[in-house]
Amino acid sequence: MAWRNLGRNRVRTALATLGILIGVVAIASLGMATAALQQQATADLQGLSNEVTVSAGPDNTNDGLTDDQVTDIRTVTGDATVVPEKTNVTTLSARNGVETRVSVTALTKADAMYNVSRGQISNRLRSGGLISDSVATQLNLEIGDPVSYEGRLYRIQGILSSSQGLGGSQRELVLPMSAMADQNEYDSVTVLTTPEQSVDTLTTDIESWFNENDEEIVRVRNFAGVQENVDSFLSTLQIGLIGIGSISLVVASVAILNVMLMSTVERKGEIGVLRAVGIRRGEVLRMILTEAAFLGVIGGLLGVVVSAAIGVLLFEVLLGSPLEAFNWASAQYLVYGMAFAVIASVVSGLYPAWKAANERPVEALRE
Amino acid sequence: MSVIELVDVVKRYENGTELITALEEVTFQATHGEMVTIIGPSGSGKSTLLNMIGLLDTPTEGTVRLNNREVTDFSPDQLTEERRSEIGFVFQDYHLLPMLTATENVELPTMWDTAIDRHDRAVDLLERVGLGDRRTHQPTQLSGGQRQRVAIARALINEPDILLADEPTGNLDQDTGATILDELTRLKQAEDIAIVAVTHDEQLVEYADRVVELVDGRINT
Repeated sequence: MAWRNLGRNRVRTALATLGILIGVVAIASLGMATAALQQQATADLQGLSNEVTVSAGPDNTNDGLTDDQVTDIRTVTGDATVVPEKTNVTTLSARNGVETRVSVTALTKADAMYNVSRGQISNRLRSGGLISDSVATQLNLEIGDPVSYEGRLYRIQGILSSSQGLGGSQRELVLPMSAMADQNEYDSVTVLTTPEQSVDTLTTDIESWFNENDEEIVRVRNFAGVQENVDSFLSTLQIGLIGIGSISLVVASVAILNVMLMSTVERKGEIGVLRAVGIRRGEVLRMILTEAAFLGVIGGLLGVVVSAAIGVLLFEVLLGSPLEAFNWASAQYLVYGMAFAVIASVVSGLYPAWKAANERPVEALRE
Repeated sequence: MSVIELVDVVKRYENGTELITALEEVTFQATHGEMVTIIGPSGSGKSTLLNMIGLLDTPTEGTVRLNNREVTDFSPDQLTEERRSEIGFVFQDYHLLPMLTATENVELPTMWDTAIDRHDRAVDLLERVGLGDRRTHQPTQLSGGQRQRVAIARALINEPDILLADEPTGNLDQDTGATILDELTRLKQAEDIAIVAVTHDEQLVEYADRVVELVDGRINT
């Protein structure tokens, strides 16, 4: 019955449904967008959140960290992986004469610090090197090609993945430690914590070991705070975006209110007949509310379908894995959107329904 | 025994600042198997009287009894229940729901009752008013006379004691009007119900067992 009533004015029903659809899409796709951003940010920052970087402080007597200090760091940090690094800058030239500046990092345990998109990383690199994708492209280098540093040749073993977190240099050449054997001190030491260790605790431990009074022998930094900040920023963004989405659903509710009000005013005489032949007030109320709920369900379902499509697209573009859109973290917004649609429709149907049900049949019939 | 009885009923309306007396000490009754026609000029209070009899409105003063029970002070919800079980309505404009078939329109008053299925009775009533072959038609596919017969079938679905008709032939031509009145007369006897009709139609007066004339809210005897 309620269903057929909706069919009587198809254009009006379609417009109300469209309003809800837009509201649901606004809420669900904005929610899913922030879920995608959050997932992307987390993936990007994951490599940084377990890192503590130690470098020489202003009060250090050397330019860098000495072997003894590295040994001390190993002692303080226990099971953590300690990766000392030496860095430099050099100019690489290709066979065709193109030259480019790159930063050079010499280290052991390259596999703990880097990921490659092509080729492979061996633990000590031996006489091989890793190079950023952008540099390789620019110099037309392939895996197996030689690069020259300080007069020695290194074969390229792997091309670095472009995503290396915030600290990753986009133009980088990674070489074995032996490449910088003539440099005595280490420019930095990266400590990778085990899952049981706290980044903040390790930071404090290292600082208190080396730095006494106000002297800053070593400088210790970690990025745990960065991830927290990014997370909290994204949460704020999410609330803001969903807020905007909710406004459109409020607008949609007003549209339903209007549609239902119009249709009850239009059917005043008819509702009067229903009341005259003994249909109870509660039954009239239920009929109108059912109509409103139908609008909400149809609009909501259509909205969920459209939002799911948008979500799949978003996850494909941002993360490259479209099916992630159906993980609860993002799919929950489809459920919220649907729930909002039905609740908003029923709530905005309440007043017209109440008004229709409480019309005195005599008045209604006079129309 | 009368089905419906109004004793010294007064109805006053407030129309802006003016107090209008629509009915002035009207006493009226109708019994089983009787067709009463209420006539009178426009504004004489015919519709108000019909609303009182149909329990759609409550009097300012006086008493209303349905089957010897006083219903004067019933709440709107109680009156709805009485209309649901005892009263059938036929309107001048038929007031059928356009999206429902003839059978569904007849079932309409009982549609919300999941406990009882009146489908068989609806089909039976449509057959009795000669619309057995129009059961699945929608109102727009029916002529005026056919629509009014659907409306009559609808008014009888709840097996009422009293059928109220407001200008039942008002929108019909002479011949169609006559068939509708024949129909009502037949049903009055078959179902043993009281029929109260308000009309301008001379033809309807001929079919009535009794005529009540209303002038300025008073019954003219």
